[in-house]
Amino acid sequence: MATLSIKSLGKTYPGNVTAVQDVDVEIADGEFIVLVGPSGCGKSTILRMIAGLEAITTGDLHIDGERVNDREPGDRNIAMVFQNYALYPHMSVRKNMEYGLKNEGLPKPEIAKRIEEASRTLRLEEYLDRKPRQLSGGQRQRVAMGRAIVRDPKVFLFDEPLSNLDAKLRTQLRAELKALHHRLGATFIYVTHDQVEAMSLADRIIIMNAGRVEQIGTPMDLYLRPATRFVADFIGSPAMNFIEGTVGEDRRSLAINGTQVLNMGQELPARAGAQVAMGMRPEHLGDAGGADIQVSLQVSFVEQLGADTVVHGNLSGGAQPLAVRLHGVHASEPGSEIALGCGMGHVHLFDTATGARLN
Amino acid sequence: MQKRVVFRSRLLPYLLVLPQIAITVIFFFWPSYQAIESSFFIEDAFGFSREWVGLQNYFELFDDPGYLKSFRTTLIFGVSVAFLAMSIALGLAVAANRVVKAATGYRTLLIWPYAVAPALAGVMWYFMMNPSLGIVAYWLRSLGVDWNHYLNGDQALLLVIVAAAWKQISYNFLFFLAGLQSIPKSMLEAAAIDRAGPVRRFWTIVFPLLTPTTFFLLVVNLVYAFFDTFSLIHATTEGGPVDATSVLVFRVYNTGFIGQDYGSSAAQSVILMALVIGMTFVQFRYVERKVQY
Ligand SMILES: Nc1ncnc2c1ncn2[C@@H]1O[C@H](COP(=O)(O)OP(=O)(O)O)[C@@H](O)[C@H]1O
Ligand SMILES: [Mg+2]
Repeated sequence: MATLSIKSLGKTYPGNVTAVQDVDVEIADGEFIVLVGPSGCGKSTILRMIAGLEAITTGDLHIDGERVNDREPGDRNIAMVFQNYALYPHMSVRKNMEYGLKNEGLPKPEIAKRIEEASRTLRLEEYLDRKPRQLSGGQRQRVAMGRAIVRDPKVFLFDEPLSNLDAKLRTQLRAELKALHHRLGATFIYVTHDQVEAMSLADRIIIMNAGRVEQIGTPMDLYLRPATRFVADFIGSPAMNFIEGTVGEDRRSLAINGTQVLNMGQELPARAGAQVAMGMRPEHLGDAGGADIQVSLQVSFVEQLGADTVVHGNLSGGAQPLAVRLHGVHASEPGSEIALGCGMGHVHLFDTATGARLN
Repeated sequence: MQKRVVFRSRLLPYLLVLPQIAITVIFFFWPSYQAIESSFFIEDAFGFSREWVGLQNYFELFDDPGYLKSFRTTLIFGVSVAFLAMSIALGLAVAANRVVKAATGYRTLLIWPYAVAPALAGVMWYFMMNPSLGIVAYWLRSLGVDWNHYLNGDQALLLVIVAAAWKQISYNFLFFLAGLQSIPKSMLEAAAIDRAGPVRRFWTIVFPLLTPTTFFLLVVNLVYAFFDTFSLIHATTEGGPVDATSVLVFRVYNTGFIGQDYGSSAAQSVILMALVIGMTFVQFRYVERKVQY
């Protein structure tokens, strides 16, 4: 159990590749932090700098108040689960889990006790004498987890640990991971590119883009008040609708394509003539009757998901794509039009040029 | 999907493998048969007459202290060459693996010795170590080592061991480097997080994972040292002084072509043949079954 303090952390790889810049975050004891972002945005690099596998170019890393920039990975009191699990193929499951404990020089009875506990928790007792190649993907994943647990580290690091598994197993292991975090009470730092994983696991999410932090907050912070257009677009599925336009003279309307004018019903927090993107989540569009903003959707195709129906199309009279998520089963013909509305409370306004939130 | 090729004519498939079979029969089976046959005869030096003697050639060999000593010399030679060539190659491969970018250039340089003909390698070492004009012999003397492999049998053996090992290092290096590069980096990182230092990581993770490569190379190196070092020894020490470096293959040549005792020479090659077959068998058996994880 530990606190982490990351101050203006940066990484430049040889060849002047800047992978990470100016990351600042304070992580509380026992927090479940998820680093999320598209592939190549620097998530793994941050995790590997915390683990000590990659040298820190700039900034400071403190674990429990101690600066650990120059400590060896083995001396940081962390454990890591790799995407490919990195199990030792020539060792049995038991030997895999024992390895770190033996290196620490723990007494044999203590090692046996820890392995017994961990293998019970992870339901690995039957497999202790098998080699990794004799296990399924999900079992290997649990061995990797076991190898981390027995070490009893202050911080657990995970680099996309579920991405090599099928969807059903992923959902199941997600729940197990959450339960494990609850029981261990340790600090977890978890990397994923999957926003659903991030939303369902995290106490707080760090969302990254091109080596920089876009926003840090609880899943609901990110969902309800995305700080940037990037965050708004990344979180939520189907993705948020964006309608781009120019704020009218009265600052109460939005001109789209120069022709169509959308009445906003109230004053916008932007100057007249500003270029803005108005974001509305598909699930927040609904009945037109009496709503602040009224739009019309021209249907192009329909996804029937059972519980929900997602209707895709364009804003009528324009080329801007628009989708709506309707509760239950709906039949909509391609080419038909649906009148929709959205309350001002569900509208997110972003500066088109900078992507910053305006409201 | 049918993956096997179906021939319309029955003759064609046999025709296609015929050249390979012909080569095998003419260059391998026929000489082997001749060797086995000759080993049961005693023949006069000019090949005018021969006499069936059964296993007498073999019995004589195992009564001959010279032959038994040659067995021992071969064993010492083979094990030393394999150990030396493999451990140096492994050390170089580990070093090369650390600088992955420079590895190609490094690899090219290290492959050169393999391209040198065995006899030339022998001559080169012969000159370097020559007691009167060799540079290495000169250095050794300035270090207080009295180097003269013409007189000292142990030194002569050491010389051919070093020369033979030197030839084999590049081959081993390539295999070890490939083996090292196939070990996922994350596995070593996991071990580092598991508090294993570099030396411990090497002996508990890297070395065990190289076992298949090591075993394969061990057999290849032993086969090389036992059977493929004739020209090198011939060019350096000619089996001497006395017969200090007279390994089994060299002895086959000496007995047959110098001593003109064809029967005994044939019996010796049959024994060598049995050794190769035995080692190949071990290799197939173990590489496929035992040495995997
Ligand atoms: N060892 C390396 N050398 C050079 N560039 C690297 C190295 N590792 C990662 N990068 C670069 O750094 C960026 C971030 O990589 P990474 O942290 O692995 O991203 P993510 O885990 O978010 O997909 C990428 O552009 C990648 O190409
Ligand atoms: Mg990554």
